[in-house]
Amino acid sequence: MEFNGSFELEDVSIEEAWLALSDPRMIEAALPGCQFLVQVDGDDPDFDELAAQADDGPDEEDLLPNADPEVVAERAFEDGGQYAALIELGVGSVKPSFETIVTITDREFPVMNAAGEGSASDSSFEMESGMELHETETGVRIDWWTETDVFGRLARMGQRLITPVANRVVNRFFSDLESRLQPESDESQSDGYRNRVRSLFK
Amino acid sequence: MTDDEGPDGGVLGAALDRREDPSLLTGEAKYTDDITHDGMLHMSVVRCPYGHAKVERVDASEAEAHEDVELVLTPEDLAESDLPGTLESIGMMVPKENWPMEAGPAEMFLPDYPLLAGDRALHQGHPVAVVVATDRYVANDATELVDVEYERLDAVANPAEATEDDAPALYEGAPDNVIFDWELGDPEAVDEAFESADHTVDIELEHPRVIPDAIEPRATIADFDPLTEKLTVEMTSQNPHHHRLWLSNTLDYPEHKIRIVAPEVGGGFGVKIHHYPEEALTSWCSMELERPVKWVQKRSEAHMTDAHARGHVTEASMALDDDGTILGLQADTHAALGAYVSTHAPLIPTGSYGMMLPGPFDVPAMRVNVIGTFTNTSPVDAYRGAGQPEATFVIQRLLEMAARDLDIDSAEIRRRNFIPPEEFPYAETVGNMVYDSGDYEKTLEKALEIADYDQYRQRQKELRDEDRYVGIGIASFVELTGLGPSKPGVPGPLPTFHESSLIRFHPSGTVTAYSGTADQGQGHKTAFAQVVAEELGVPYEDVEVIQGDTDQVPQGTGAFASRSAVVGGNAMAKSAEKIVEKATKIAAHQFEADEDDVVFEDGEFSIKGAPERSISMAEIAHEAHQANAIPDGMEPGLDATTFFDPDAPTIPFGSQVCIVEVDPESGEIDFLEYVAVDDCGEQINPQIVKGQIHGGIAQGLGPALFEEGKYDDNASLVSGTLMDYALPKANQLPDYDVECTVTPSPTNELGLKGIGEAGTIPAPTALVNAVVDALEPFGVDHVELPATPEKVWRAVEKGGEQ
Repeated sequence: MEFNGSFELEDVSIEEAWLALSDPRMIEAALPGCQFLVQVDGDDPDFDELAAQADDGPDEEDLLPNADPEVVAERAFEDGGQYAALIELGVGSVKPSFETIVTITDREFPVMNAAGEGSASDSSFEMESGMELHETETGVRIDWWTETDVFGRLARMGQRLITPVANRVVNRFFSDLESRLQPESDESQSDGYRNRVRSLFK
Repeated sequence: MTDDEGPDGGVLGAALDRREDPSLLTGEAKYTDDITHDGMLHMSVVRCPYGHAKVERVDASEAEAHEDVELVLTPEDLAESDLPGTLESIGMMVPKENWPMEAGPAEMFLPDYPLLAGDRALHQGHPVAVVVATDRYVANDATELVDVEYERLDAVANPAEATEDDAPALYEGAPDNVIFDWELGDPEAVDEAFESADHTVDIELEHPRVIPDAIEPRATIADFDPLTEKLTVEMTSQNPHHHRLWLSNTLDYPEHKIRIVAPEVGGGFGVKIHHYPEEALTSWCSMELERPVKWVQKRSEAHMTDAHARGHVTEASMALDDDGTILGLQADTHAALGAYVSTHAPLIPTGSYGMMLPGPFDVPAMRVNVIGTFTNTSPVDAYRGAGQPEATFVIQRLLEMAARDLDIDSAEIRRRNFIPPEEFPYAETVGNMVYDSGDYEKTLEKALEIADYDQYRQRQKELRDEDRYVGIGIASFVELTGLGPSKPGVPGPLPTFHESSLIRFHPSGTVTAYSGTADQGQGHKTAFAQVVAEELGVPYEDVEVIQGDTDQVPQGTGAFASRSAVVGGNAMAKSAEKIVEKATKIAAHQFEADEDDVVFEDGEFSIKGAPERSISMAEIAHEAHQANAIPDGMEPGLDATTFFDPDAPTIPFGSQVCIVEVDPESGEIDFLEYVAVDDCGEQINPQIVKGQIHGGIAQGLGPALFEEGKYDDNASLVSGTLMDYALPKANQLPDYDVECTVTPSPTNELGLKGIGEAGTIPAPTALVNAVVDALEPFGVDHVELPATPEKVWRAVEKGGEQ
């Protein structure tokens, strides 16, 4: 199945959006059902061990716009890096918990591509996704696409529901991201903060 | 004639209420899942989630450690066991010319069908391991504790794509995924016909895969008794004796130590004929544990692993004179057979489809090529209609297209091409198959009259002026029923085609009759009791019918190919005849008369011309058992066994007329009339006949309107549940007008032909012909099955451009 779409973040600069979308902790916080997301070595980590080690997820202070942009840049996705995530997803009557391995196949501002595989007890999926960021007059537009194959119970019982579920997940993810990044006060919108983020790209 | 009396005043042919119904309709009947045994355990199956995958590792340790799990069996256990490891391979022959009178040995690639997928799983749902636990739900949950590592492989589900170069091969020995490449007919004659024809029509179509859904899913209880070493298997079977033989070979366990019991079975339609891994796996678990083990299929398992049906990709063309006379017909079909070759699988797209393509029409030149292909899907096998809905669809879509092109009325073009009544028995068929008897036009005329065809044609024109679109669809058909004879079989553990009966008089004069065929709700007990009561002249109430138990019924074949009444019913009549013969001798002895002077009428024996002194059949039965007044040298008792092997199959026929109104804006279809006129020869019970036609039409209209078994590009089943696979509901189907004509079959004493599948075969064709007819003003010349509102709407939008 192929999905794609665009999402506009108002009052967010392209650099802010790029840094936020490159931050494993931000993804962990914004992606619905994501229990943890950590960098791993190899494609066969022990998920039980990772779950035991995982913290309760990032605080507001750990994430943009509150976090130090240099710290965030430091922990950003690496080109070729592998990440493990546990993602719970409800598709109709099926609520699998996917042990997911994602490889960042390509990451060069403003384009990022990834390939992933997730498996639950009776379902699994394979996907390739990518995004490209574009500066707009009012903020940033993210064009995203994904090609996914689902298998097992999820395929058998949920394929007709996957499109709405995928749309819901993507929308919730970007909405969450937008609400986190959008300036609530004049302070966070300060030129100082914006400049610090921008300076990372020079 | 009342409902209690047949045409001759007897019980044969009477529309009796079915004696099965009080227990079936009140829910008191015992199905396999209603049965429990002391100490019974429950089996659940670990299934491959992929359409095609390497099975790299099966780790059962966590499941085995569960306190309520009694046993886990993996491919490694299978390899270490004494079992052959593969299902008994039936390898039903591909028919040659002259089938069903003759057939050659199989010419096809016949792979092993493993009980558990050891190295590779070839379709989604293939068993990889089984878990046995003290509770059904624990067993089910514990399957998730079995850790299986797979490497997913590319898969193919479409039968035509399977033969393309870039398709993944399921077997090394069949690189093109071709199981057989079967050709029949006369290509030169067809070429000539097409060259000389005034007009030709052609079509490319897909006949979608159908997933049969019996109300009761498959179920098995295996109970191995270590002291008697007897394995008793209660299971959902249409053919218990076949299952006994197949299980015996699959388990490598002697046939006489296996008893198969088919309790009440809730519908079969073909699905419960075949030999599947699960009954064998349940039996293996019971033998390992020496305890009863039950397995009940879940609906989603049924969708993944029951044999599917249809699944054709076809190109076909027809050549005609400009008066609409058919000159030639050719078809090239790819038929999906799935990942393994199921029990009767090769026979369906060849004998039941290819050979039946001409239908009720005189087709002077024909050629058909069927390529049976492996696909990463559940096996495809016989399901109500078996090849013949596909055949009917091909020829009568073509005929309808020709009728429109040549501006000939749909009914008229059929009249011009029917095999005329004086040609019977008709042997000019492509496979030299003999059509036993027929008056095809009679069913069409009657259906047209009931449907008020001429009036609707007029109304159709008027309504078009009001932008209302009424369409009339006609489908006439013939069907191959009552299989045998046994002759075309090749050596090996093939299904048999004869049928057995045993009729046993009790000393009190009542009767128990045993039939080798077993029903799934069709009403055998009523119908066979009617035959026996009539032939023996005893009250209908005095006849009990036993079926579905290999320890009670000496031998048997089973219920498929609409053969139970024809072959099983005539087997009953033959045994009755043998009993009357012996009883006549006893009567003659009692009368001190010559046997030839004794007459038997209405259950009474008397001397010719002296009816005042008579002895009833019941009294003779008593004498036969008392054995002190029977002829010297005669054995006591009064019973008879028959193995009836018919000389030829029987060919019932009929016509359906479907009238619909189509809304071009929404694509919705409203039924205005649905008429079926069937001819199945003489009838044992007209009420059962009508019931079969009603259910048959429903199962034909389901795939015509909604049902489609769909796989995605990875051969993952998309229609895995009844939320995603649309079985028709009662309110979505029309009221049917069902009538019959009677053209007895000369092939059997009772003059019967099969009726079980007759409703299903023409229904998709009648529906699509009606929809296309309704949409003629939009230039629509074909709508693919199933004719969902979306497809109909798209056809309207495309119009003549499609």
